[in-house]
Amino acid sequence: MSDAAATLTQDRQRLELSALSAPAVVFTVAMIAFPVVYTIWLGFQSFSSTGKQSFAGLANYSKLMSDYEFWHGLWVTIALYLLSLVLQLVFGVWLALALFHAKRLPGIVRSLFISPFMMPPVVAGMMWLVILDPSLGAANYILQSFGLPPSDWLASPTWVIPTIALIDSWQWTPYVALIVLGGLQSLPPSVYEAAQIDGASAFKTFQRITLPLLLPTIVTAAILRSVDLLRFFDIIYITTQGGPGNASNTLNIYGFRVGFEFFNIGYASALMLTLTAIVFGAVLAFNRLRGAVAW
Amino acid sequence: MNARMFAARVALPVLAVAAVSAEVRAAEFDWKKFQGKTVTFLANNNPVAQALLTNKDDFEKLTGMTLKVDGYQEQQMRQRLVTVMNARSDEVDVFMTLPSREGEQFAAAGWYADLSAMAKGEVAKEYDSAGLSQALLKSATFSGKLTSMPMNIEGPIFYYRTDIFKKCGIEKPASIKDVEAAAEKIKACDSSVTPFVSRGLKPAIAYTFSNVLHNIGGTYIINGKSSLCSPKGKEALDTYSRLLRDFGPPGVVNYSFQQISALYRGGRAAMSFESSNELRTVMDGGARLKDTALMPFPAGEAGQVPTVIGWGMAVSSHSKQPDAAWYFVQWATSPAVQKKMALQGIAPPRPSVATDPEYRKWIDEEPVRKEWQAALDVLATKGSSEVGYPIVANPESREFIGQAVQDLILKQKTVDQACADADKALDALIARK
Repeated sequence: MSDAAATLTQDRQRLELSALSAPAVVFTVAMIAFPVVYTIWLGFQSFSSTGKQSFAGLANYSKLMSDYEFWHGLWVTIALYLLSLVLQLVFGVWLALALFHAKRLPGIVRSLFISPFMMPPVVAGMMWLVILDPSLGAANYILQSFGLPPSDWLASPTWVIPTIALIDSWQWTPYVALIVLGGLQSLPPSVYEAAQIDGASAFKTFQRITLPLLLPTIVTAAILRSVDLLRFFDIIYITTQGGPGNASNTLNIYGFRVGFEFFNIGYASALMLTLTAIVFGAVLAFNRLRGAVAW
Repeated sequence: MNARMFAARVALPVLAVAAVSAEVRAAEFDWKKFQGKTVTFLANNNPVAQALLTNKDDFEKLTGMTLKVDGYQEQQMRQRLVTVMNARSDEVDVFMTLPSREGEQFAAAGWYADLSAMAKGEVAKEYDSAGLSQALLKSATFSGKLTSMPMNIEGPIFYYRTDIFKKCGIEKPASIKDVEAAAEKIKACDSSVTPFVSRGLKPAIAYTFSNVLHNIGGTYIINGKSSLCSPKGKEALDTYSRLLRDFGPPGVVNYSFQQISALYRGGRAAMSFESSNELRTVMDGGARLKDTALMPFPAGEAGQVPTVIGWGMAVSSHSKQPDAAWYFVQWATSPAVQKKMALQGIAPPRPSVATDPEYRKWIDEEPVRKEWQAALDVLATKGSSEVGYPIVANPESREFIGQAVQDLILKQKTVDQACADADKALDALIARK
């Protein structure tokens, strides 16, 4: 076969493959693109309380700037995000190290450690709602049996954010631990052998070797959790619905209420697109960080 | 032709023909007319729908239609409905609706099919549309359009523990002030129980707060303006929040019907102001059966003006088969089905069912059921269905009422500040088109 004929055959094969995969590609792009484009379009629409629709231009976005609930929701979202992320990364690394060094731990115990994130968030929310009920819940009973004062937990405007962060961390710290554990298992043993020969203490080994080598893995875990945490919804909706008052009213909860309870789909779309932009921003920032800490 | 001649020669015969044709239509009514069709019902997974759907097989056998049930929790049901209706989809034929909450809004959006003509058209002889609660039919009528047929009658009622009252030497409260005095005594007499509990969760507050406001003599709108800062409005805000703050359980700001019923059923509350629908849940297990008494919420300066609402069944304006859908609505709100639901603890919106001997026998089995029915009778005769602001944006108005009450429970604002902030937001809502 001449070179020209071979090229022709390759081109034909490529064309056939493209034609065969085209429906799937078109379908996938449409499935992703349509909701996004539709939401962008909705963001430029105004809906009256009765659902009547009209073109609003940038009015929904300019309304954001002067909407106290938006800025409050943004603050709550960021506070909850930072607190939860720090808790989950710190305890996730700690749990991963514990599991990594506990070589003799039976498989069932390892599975138990990582089981919370397999629980549906709605179930987790309901469970914690019962445990943290100030009157009937087990949490205050335990506190009081140790002579400690009871707490209002989710019913306190002061404590609601830390409490939700704790619930989310209970559920997702094992997930971070699982990712970090994978990173730990892939670290080169030769570096540790060299450190041992040099007489490095366990803490110095962790500080100078393990942590720097784990950083890319930790940043990956942070990216995955950031995406989830910034659009955190289920547990908050189940436990507080954004309350007490508006103390846990994140942007996501606020957007949901505006859209599905007050029927202002246009403004809700603008809120959600702003939230999406924030999530993208956070992911881009972490991606840059990952590039900087790669080894 | 003068008016009298017109009446004699034209109008009277037309009316006679109309009356005869209605009789004929009823006689010709055939439940099997839409045999083979499928009707989709968007249901709120609450006790009302649960009781109705235990009879689903009867409907399918009677009509030969298939009933496809799309069931969700209340909020998720509305979320699904908003999506379906905004897309003008015919996926839903019949949906459950709360006229007191979303009636104005959905009617103005054109989501309800007009049932006025349907209720006069193809109607089974036994349907008896005149036997349905006229108050509920009226509350489901917007701009002359009947938007839904009532499924039940309900409202918040006052549950209290007779044994604790007896132990603490307290009489049955006759006024709101008596409730507060009773709570004070219970707090001193038995520290193991919560003296009073009611709704503290922000979006749920309007349901119970409205009863207190109306009993005190307040109303939500005066001369087109929000009136929470009127003397009666402030008194209602102060009274309701004080009852919950000083005598309610810790964390009451997250309390809705689930938490309230659990607390009361578990014997941890002496007085509870909660929905009549919760009777079955509260009495579950039998622990509260003999030590509970029921009545409408005690009177204020304006007497007893209890809140009364009811779930309704509406036909979607986007349904491609409204007539078949109407057959389902008609079956579900018929005297026979409502009697079956009543025997499962769903208060009937038909006085005829409420006086049915079989239902009365069920009521007479337990004193608490008798009191429950007596309270419902007061709701039906004296009740107001104003829950939150009577405006299109009613659901949103409930947020601001709830916020004002929570601000007071949590001591974040004074009464003057809380009502002023709420009135400002609510005035904007009233002005919004």
